[in-house]
Amino acid sequence: MSEEHTPLTRAELLKRGGVAAAGLSAFGASNALAATMRGAGAASTEGVTLAWLTWFDHFFPQQLKTTLKQTGIACHPKLAPSDSEIYTTIRTTGSQFDIAAMDALWVPYAHKSGLTESFDLNGMKAAKQLYPAARDIAIWKDGSNSMAYPNGWSTIQTYYNPKFVKTKPDSYDALLDPAYKKKIVYENSPETFVAFAGLATGAKVPYDQTLPEIARSKAWLEKLKPNILKIVDQNFETVNALKDQSAWIGLGNLGVDLRVKAAGGPPIKVAYPKEGLLGWFDGEQMVKASKHKDVFLTFMDSVESQTYWAAQNFLKNGRPMFNEAAYKLLVKWGYKKRADAFNYTKPDTIFKAHLQGPARNPQAITDAFNEVFGG
Amino acid sequence: MVPVAVYFGLFFVVPFALIVCFSFWVDSNYTVVHHWTIENYRYFASQSVYVHTMWSTLWVALASTAITLGLAFPFSYWLARYVPRGLQKLLLVLVIVPFWTSYLLRVYSWLNILGDNGLINTTLQKLGLIDQPLSLLYHRWTVVVVLVYLYFPFAALTLYSSIDRFDWDQLLAAMDLGASPVTALRRILIPQIRPGITAAVIFVLIPILGEYLAPQIVGGTDGIMIGNQIDEFQKYALYARAASLSLLVAAFIVLLLILFRRSLGTREAYGA
Repeated sequence: MSEEHTPLTRAELLKRGGVAAAGLSAFGASNALAATMRGAGAASTEGVTLAWLTWFDHFFPQQLKTTLKQTGIACHPKLAPSDSEIYTTIRTTGSQFDIAAMDALWVPYAHKSGLTESFDLNGMKAAKQLYPAARDIAIWKDGSNSMAYPNGWSTIQTYYNPKFVKTKPDSYDALLDPAYKKKIVYENSPETFVAFAGLATGAKVPYDQTLPEIARSKAWLEKLKPNILKIVDQNFETVNALKDQSAWIGLGNLGVDLRVKAAGGPPIKVAYPKEGLLGWFDGEQMVKASKHKDVFLTFMDSVESQTYWAAQNFLKNGRPMFNEAAYKLLVKWGYKKRADAFNYTKPDTIFKAHLQGPARNPQAITDAFNEVFGG
Repeated sequence: MVPVAVYFGLFFVVPFALIVCFSFWVDSNYTVVHHWTIENYRYFASQSVYVHTMWSTLWVALASTAITLGLAFPFSYWLARYVPRGLQKLLLVLVIVPFWTSYLLRVYSWLNILGDNGLINTTLQKLGLIDQPLSLLYHRWTVVVVLVYLYFPFAALTLYSSIDRFDWDQLLAAMDLGASPVTALRRILIPQIRPGITAAVIFVLIPILGEYLAPQIVGGTDGIMIGNQIDEFQKYALYARAASLSLLVAAFIVLLLILFRRSLGTREAYGA
């Protein structure tokens, strides 16, 4: 199964332009008719456009088109950068955005900062598709409400090529072996790099270390640096490096081994370091300053009810969703083995990991990273 | 003058002033606190890694610029002097064609050329010249190679436009008077196209000093440049730190530009 992709040729573009011009005159009438069919209660969603600050793997354009047809609510997604940049963007832009995605512990942080409002998750039709564990995420609870609508999750583990890595690296300290000089790749994330080092050096909360813990983590990273081949920007670079065997070890989200295999690479194994795993799960939040809070639930219900796209999301982006109904669809499509390989049916796994979140010393963390990896 | 001043003020002076202000404020809990301090500058002065990275960046920039001009000059000379007019336009278009593709795509393509299973290694292995792939990626010199490729068109077009205006009879006259071809080039052509050379150097060297994507993609941990470190601060919403490091780099660039004007005698290029 593949998602719809309609290649746009020049002829098609001209044709669509002409059709659009002719169709504008009919738009008002059909809009009114659709509003009537949706019922008087939904009339307030007409003409509303929501600004959604989220990551590229949280939606499909076709999904938003369907929501527009169903609810009359349009959406302009803006691709989000890091959690910290989303946080500062929402804080400084006020009502410019209506919905914002964030990870794990960033959600309660944003809520506590007065940037978001909680909502009745369990009252949503779409929430019935979620795993029970996802409907009841403790750190996102605000009384009976939830601070965010859960999307997807992943732990971050160690993947290695057994042809070159003879001993399973089941500890972060194993990565310091001089035999792995310039053979490890990981994604460009100072906070996660320092968090790994925190796990290796016994930090209490890897993503929120004290200054002495950061100093120890920095020292550990200095020992790791000679073994780092490259700090990559995208996951596919980790996959390529393992595929062409320029790297023997990569740290990444679930499924790196399967992606390497799908790319024609060598067999890759996974190791779960004994010090624990880092992880993330993300969701969509209602921005408190939004002028369209009244349509948030209608919009999210429509978007998140589209089980087909939730299943497509897993197939395309390769990490488990919290959507249980999507798993059943994947099974029906013949992707049970693939979904199970990603621990799709075990969302509780992520709640045992050390979760991504804000740090009390973000400047010290970035300083430490830059000081280690500076040229 | 007024429209230009307004435009310049709005789109350069104001944003620049904001960056200056940010550089003297403090990052705290993902907020920029408007507390005036020189702490950011003090921090960068106290950490040798940033000085070291700046020197590495300058080394990469100078090497890339020298090689780019070394390649662009003979190309531009050949294009201006020996290629028929009609064909010149076509070749110039071919020089520009890479700009029609995405910058990122052009950089990523080098992974397929230099990678362990890339074009070069595969060819050498098939020819039996090597048994194991050569390590061509993730070195500082890899960054230089890719930057030369990226900035060659800038240098070639700038030098071509300078060389194209040169009166070639002067070279013939010089050789008639006993100068060797190399001497004629050195003493007649080069001085007259010096503004073009200076412009080419500026168009290549200055942007390279701010590069961060190419080093990120092909440089590995050995190819980190100062732009990468600014990017890390930016990514973590540490805007005060990012602003101050950016200003330090900008000050360095301004110093270079001043030296260019003085040492290469470019006053005539600016109409003085």
